[in-house]
Amino acid sequence: MRALFLFLLLAVPLGSLATPVAPPDSAGAPTAKHWFHPRHLLLQTGGGIGMVAAGAGYSYWHKRVSTDVLVGYVPKRHAGSKLTIVTLKASYSPVRLPLTADWQLTPLTVGAYGSYTIGLQNPGEPNQYPDDYYWFSRTLRYGPLLGSSIAYTAWPTSSDHSRSLAFYYELGTNDLYLHSYLTNRHSLRPSQLLTLAIGLKMNL
Amino acid sequence: MTSFFSTFSIRFLLGTLLLSLAGCEWVEFSPNDHRAPAEESHLTRKNLARLEQQTLPPGDTLRFVFTGDSQRFYEQADDFVESVNQQPGISFVMVAGDISDFGLSREMRWVNEKLSKLRVPYLTVIGNHDQVANGRAAYQEIFGPLNYTFTYAGTRFIMTDTNGREYNFNGRIPDVPWVEQQLADTVGVQRQVVMSHVPPEDPDFDPTLRPAYTAALRNAPRLVFELNGHRHDFHIGQPFDDGVTYINSFAFEKRQYVVLTVWGQKQFRLKTIAF
Repeated sequence: MRALFLFLLLAVPLGSLATPVAPPDSAGAPTAKHWFHPRHLLLQTGGGIGMVAAGAGYSYWHKRVSTDVLVGYVPKRHAGSKLTIVTLKASYSPVRLPLTADWQLTPLTVGAYGSYTIGLQNPGEPNQYPDDYYWFSRTLRYGPLLGSSIAYTAWPTSSDHSRSLAFYYELGTNDLYLHSYLTNRHSLRPSQLLTLAIGLKMNL
Repeated sequence: MTSFFSTFSIRFLLGTLLLSLAGCEWVEFSPNDHRAPAEESHLTRKNLARLEQQTLPPGDTLRFVFTGDSQRFYEQADDFVESVNQQPGISFVMVAGDISDFGLSREMRWVNEKLSKLRVPYLTVIGNHDQVANGRAAYQEIFGPLNYTFTYAGTRFIMTDTNGREYNFNGRIPDVPWVEQQLADTVGVQRQVVMSHVPPEDPDFDPTLRPAYTAALRNAPRLVFELNGHRHDFHIGQPFDDGVTYINSFAFEKRQYVVLTVWGQKQFRLKTIAF
């Protein structure tokens, strides 16, 4: 199950990134993109998925829906061991508001993520524990996300297409924090569960 | 491309924003990220320093609260603190491990937020749940060493990691030579108390070290008792029929705790309090 999850996480972006870029079309025509070419690149910090996490993703349905894959890194000094975190993220942004000709605001993005952590000190070895000793996974985390972003459109690549760079933030939490809160609603504050990610998204 | 970052002001604003966010507690690199504000780290050292400030002469009766397994029982923790703060003559609170449920730094800090409201210092020993994933590193950052001792009112407390299963029974946990060494060091010590999370009769204790560990305790003439957690319920007995008394704490969820009063050479009185 874990192996399959990892394979899916890794296979999709690597396959697409490894594909050579198609030769540019004749001048004036929109740049043809194969379905497997990522539509955006991401660089972020925080959100429980890395001190630095980089990734790529696809967008669908007039860029309202986005699926991303990120690989994050946490140095040993911050977590006791060097961690690599592979994350799958899906999000939905119902509205985009043009502010000026170049600036665009996405006031609300909702989403969810699942992450797999490699490099934990004590992830559990086979036969280390009796069955169901710990009911939760130490390596898989998932949780909801809520954020917004502001994008600057620049770098026309053709007459009707421009690349853009967005700054985004995401507030989120994870299953274990949420579980702690839901079993102690009077003694923990919702703000204690929050994580914050900030990042840059380059729309290709 | 140049237009976006051309203006100095935008770059300045972005830089300031990034810097301020980097210091924000919400910007967590992983749930296993154990960075914490200075006031929420190295708590063992700070609690011991606090304890040093309150003096109790070696000849006096020592009274402390004994509990364990605070893991994810935050509501009970609030009531626990309120109850303990009403107890007279308490010098400190002992928590027998499993501070957290998932071995996460935030959980340890949530528990500390509650227990820091105690009128007296509190001291902990690491539990098996505190070693899940990268919990061991988190515990060391938030609380401190996995094995340590302190002496108060002529009583030497020896706190040791007995969570052998978390090391996949590698034959080194508990560190029996270290425990023996601490028990042998009796200069200025009237009596000794050992506290660890997993009791030696438990299946989570490294079976290859059980004989050596229990022998070390048996051979310590000044040992009053060993204190344990893990089993979530109160129990007192001599499971090895060797004269060594083992006391297991209530977990926070049981809404009870033990008050231990120690005097003379090895005399003690035990009281359970419901909250």
